[in-house]
Amino acid sequence: MSGTVVIAHLYPWDMNIYGDVGNVITLRRRLEWRGFDVDVRAVDVGVPFDFSDVDIIFGGGGQDSGQRVIGEDLLARGDELCALAAAGTPMLVVCGTYQLFGRSFTTVDGLEMPGIGIFDLQTVGSDVRTIGNIVVESPFGRLVGFENHSGQTILGPGQEPLGSVTAGYGNNRESRREGARTGDVIGTYLHGPVLPKNPRLADHLILAAVGRKFGTTELEPIADGLERRAADVAALRPR
Amino acid sequence: MALWITLGVTKAAAALSRMLGRGAGQSFPGVVAERLDPRLAGRLASRLPNGVILVTGTNGKTTSTMLIAAALEASGERVLSNATGSNLKRGITAALLSASSLRGRFQETIGLFEVDEASLRLVAKDLDPTDIVVLNLFRDQLDRYGELDTTAALIGEGIAATTARLHLNADDPLVASLSRYSASPERVTYFGVESDPVAGATPGQGAADSGRCPLCGARLDFSRIFYGHIGHYQCPNGDFERPRPSVAITDVATADVTGTCFTVDVDGVVGEITFPLAGTYNMYNALAAVSAAHARGIEQEVVAESLRMSTAAFGRAEVLQLDGRSLYLLLAKNPVGLARVLETFVSPLDAPHILFAVNDLYADGRDVSWLWDVPMEALIPAGSTVLTTGTRGADMTLRLHYAGIRSDEVEDVGAAVRRLVRETPVGETAYVFPTYTAMLDIRTLLSGQPALRAVAT
Ligand SMILES: [Zn+2]
Repeated sequence: MSGTVVIAHLYPWDMNIYGDVGNVITLRRRLEWRGFDVDVRAVDVGVPFDFSDVDIIFGGGGQDSGQRVIGEDLLARGDELCALAAAGTPMLVVCGTYQLFGRSFTTVDGLEMPGIGIFDLQTVGSDVRTIGNIVVESPFGRLVGFENHSGQTILGPGQEPLGSVTAGYGNNRESRREGARTGDVIGTYLHGPVLPKNPRLADHLILAAVGRKFGTTELEPIADGLERRAADVAALRPR
Repeated sequence: MALWITLGVTKAAAALSRMLGRGAGQSFPGVVAERLDPRLAGRLASRLPNGVILVTGTNGKTTSTMLIAAALEASGERVLSNATGSNLKRGITAALLSASSLRGRFQETIGLFEVDEASLRLVAKDLDPTDIVVLNLFRDQLDRYGELDTTAALIGEGIAATTARLHLNADDPLVASLSRYSASPERVTYFGVESDPVAGATPGQGAADSGRCPLCGARLDFSRIFYGHIGHYQCPNGDFERPRPSVAITDVATADVTGTCFTVDVDGVVGEITFPLAGTYNMYNALAAVSAAHARGIEQEVVAESLRMSTAAFGRAEVLQLDGRSLYLLLAKNPVGLARVLETFVSPLDAPHILFAVNDLYADGRDVSWLWDVPMEALIPAGSTVLTTGTRGADMTLRLHYAGIRSDEVEDVGAAVRRLVRETPVGETAYVFPTYTAMLDIRTLLSGQPALRAVAT
């Protein structure tokens, strides 16, 4: 297997908390282990970016200030990102970027920021932070991670979640649903970062990308013993 | 309530809690005192003849507090500190309480407290300090700090509530910007590094923690980055720039794991300092001590001598001798802190023996995501022998795996330390990077337990 896979990392300068860069490291290594070359390109506020040969898009969490900084820029790229999503480009967005992939984010002070609307969901800031270890059942198996967010996210009636929560909260304190999924665009509150301990999810994104680009139908398996061990340990830790 | 009644009741509570062997014995009397009289800490502190100094910031609080204490003591002060206790408000109350007589008198002449960043607001309001030192602001994995800007604003509120002299790190933009909260700008002193502190410092690892102008939000231009977002910067819109420090390191003669030799300029008075704590980050701790001591009128030679005599604080590069091996204990608290100690101690070596002990108890921070923010790929030499342990040793092993570094997880901390010592040749040095509670575990193990003596057999 060979060829170059291009990963666009949305706003690594402003949206980069809680180890989210680990998701990019994981995508890169799991591609390299299978013989692909990887080119990671940063998307930055106010800087033109050509998405035409991008294979995977990733965006992480940030502080409120970071979210304010990127909001308008993301909105300006919204049509392009929606078109890429509709055409099947796999994307993973976490926490702050996940919220802005919905319809709107309303801060605790009542300030409403529009999102780009790939997901049918709305998020409202609250005074309480939802913090702790979280376990989710999903089509990609059990997902383990750590959530740390004050936003409460409500999915629209037709919006598929990423999974259902078995420990922790996820999207909000009532629904027992976590994240959102539209085609191969996946949004989640799971930090940890999410991909290292949940390699099935990582490989789903990778297969979607190399399938589109190279017609690959199957990935070489990787012995995921260390990944499983870390996930098993994390799933048993107190919240 | 009369002071002596409160003191009597809380001291009795402290005695009772010791008798019952309560783990929280140090803070418990502080909690009782706050119930009886929320102003108790302030009432007691006001009886210290030379006032109170507070030290806050993400990294280096304990070391800086220790260095300031040494300088104060060298000048003849008797220092009341929370060195061994909690740096939350109740811990400081407890320290004041336990040092005071039943009549509220002190042997000590001055208070010096390290204060948790989020607690500074409350503590400053109560204690009315003469000086506040702010070292740096980095993201910390402890769950209670979601937002760095929020932490800065909380510290700002604390500053605004006092008339204290401020000692601010000029090279940390978010810290330098705290001067706007001061009631009197002429009472702000900046400390910083003018020269390149160490050849081969790693620039470009990103000023991501605090890369934007605190006033207009534009990305700051850095002409120098010493580490993290610590360096020389200015806003492209011209509304904010690094203030010129009046307490500055102007030249670094030598810097290695045995420490640094540097020239310090304090308001134009220049002196040489030989300082046995390694790492650029420790030079900032020394500068904080020089600045605070200078404000107290302590002679520069006295400060230089106390810095020359300093030893590492608890778990900050302590060296233990064990069965013919040296064992460095290097506390790992957050990504920037861990990256700095790795860079200082193991990156220059060919084949170091390393143990990471990662716990996720409350005092460590439940979230271990921060391990991924440390650029292990660049910091750990390829020939290293690496072990991991702790409640989240598996996370560390996974992190290292994705950095291309093989490590073995040993579940039991004691077994991990024994294996580390066994695998390190006699006469050589091993490096242990524990999180806070793992450090406590290892210290307990190493405190002359018979099991330890048997380690190398
Ligand atoms: Zn500016």
